[in-house]
Amino acid sequence: MLGEFEYLLLTAAARLGNEAYGAAIRQEIEAATGRACSIGALYTTLDRLEAKGLLRTWMGEATAQRGGRARRMVQITAKGTHEAAAFYQAVMQVSRGVAWTVK
Amino acid sequence: MMSRLVWGLVDFSSRLLAQDECEAVRGDLAEAGVSGGAALVDILGLVARRQAALWLDGAPWLALAGIVVPLGVLLSHVSRWWAYGWAIDAFIYLNRWTWAMTVENPGFRGLLVAAALRDLVSGLALIGWSWTSGFALGALSRRTLWITAPLFLAVVLGATVGTTTTARANELNAAVFEVPLYGVLFPRLLRALFVLLPAWLGMRRSLRQPALSWRSTAIVAGVIIGLTWWAGRGLELAMVFGRQPVHPGSISLPLLHLLPLVAIWPAGFMVATAIHRRVHHRSHLRIPS
Repeated sequence: MLGEFEYLLLTAAARLGNEAYGAAIRQEIEAATGRACSIGALYTTLDRLEAKGLLRTWMGEATAQRGGRARRMVQITAKGTHEAAAFYQAVMQVSRGVAWTVK
Repeated sequence: MMSRLVWGLVDFSSRLLAQDECEAVRGDLAEAGVSGGAALVDILGLVARRQAALWLDGAPWLALAGIVVPLGVLLSHVSRWWAYGWAIDAFIYLNRWTWAMTVENPGFRGLLVAAALRDLVSGLALIGWSWTSGFALGALSRRTLWITAPLFLAVVLGATVGTTTTARANELNAAVFEVPLYGVLFPRLLRALFVLLPAWLGMRRSLRQPALSWRSTAIVAGVIIGLTWWAGRGLELAMVFGRQPVHPGSISLPLLHLLPLVAIWPAGFMVATAIHRRVHHRSHLRIPS
């Protein structure tokens, strides 16, 4: 079962598609959660997910916007898609019948 | 000025990351346009996580427990012990040098040759032990070397603080050690040139090439074993008489006989690494039937 942050990262990478890389994923997560996402958490989680076979990464091309530095590109694998879907189903399942209202 | 300093720190700390990761992270930070302070916090956070992960592995701990502490202490004591011994030899043969006494007297000449040979072998052994220690340290703690190397330096420099040797404490040698060259400069110079420099060169070599070729490893191991066989007795003497005050009964002699094994274990590690590489390489070359 995925962790919450792992799910967020996989979902952000899925949303970004071919444009999924470190900085873009970080921006997606911060926009979605409203919380800061540290580079340390992002890159160690990327490594963990890659070791589990849930995504693959490779060094992309350098761009001027990045000071001539390359991007670490990210792509979700079929196994990663399956795990993220399972996590989403579990959240939906457990949330059924629960109305979250803040009093 | 401040900003340049902070970005300099960012540069320095990001070098502790793997090359690709450093490239990607520095690019991400440039793209996000964050301030130097925020970039530094981010980089340090990642470096801390990576270093913590490295220390979960056994290799850096083996480097600490197997090289930094035992060999640091041993090399520290042996270098001081021999520095004082050489100082006495140099004082006797150089400060009191007369052609008639030293060269024309066969008995004295014999003593001079024996002392020179003994000191030469001791020096070569010290260089060999230090180089292999540095090599093994670099190979075992490649990415944690920025911690283990300064610790090794601290142990080599600090292990003998607050103690002296029988040679130094002996009043008969007072004339030798009153000379600053022998009493102060000699031990420091010897430690720097025969321990720290070779250890640093060994570390540098292992960072460039973690395992030497089979032939080079065999030569290094053979030379180290030979030198240890010749000079190994000095290790025991250095730990018994090179560390005063000695508490009676605090030193177990049978254990001291094992000191040469401590001195040659980094060479043994190099041999094991070379064998592992050779076997691994062969198994990769084997064509499946």
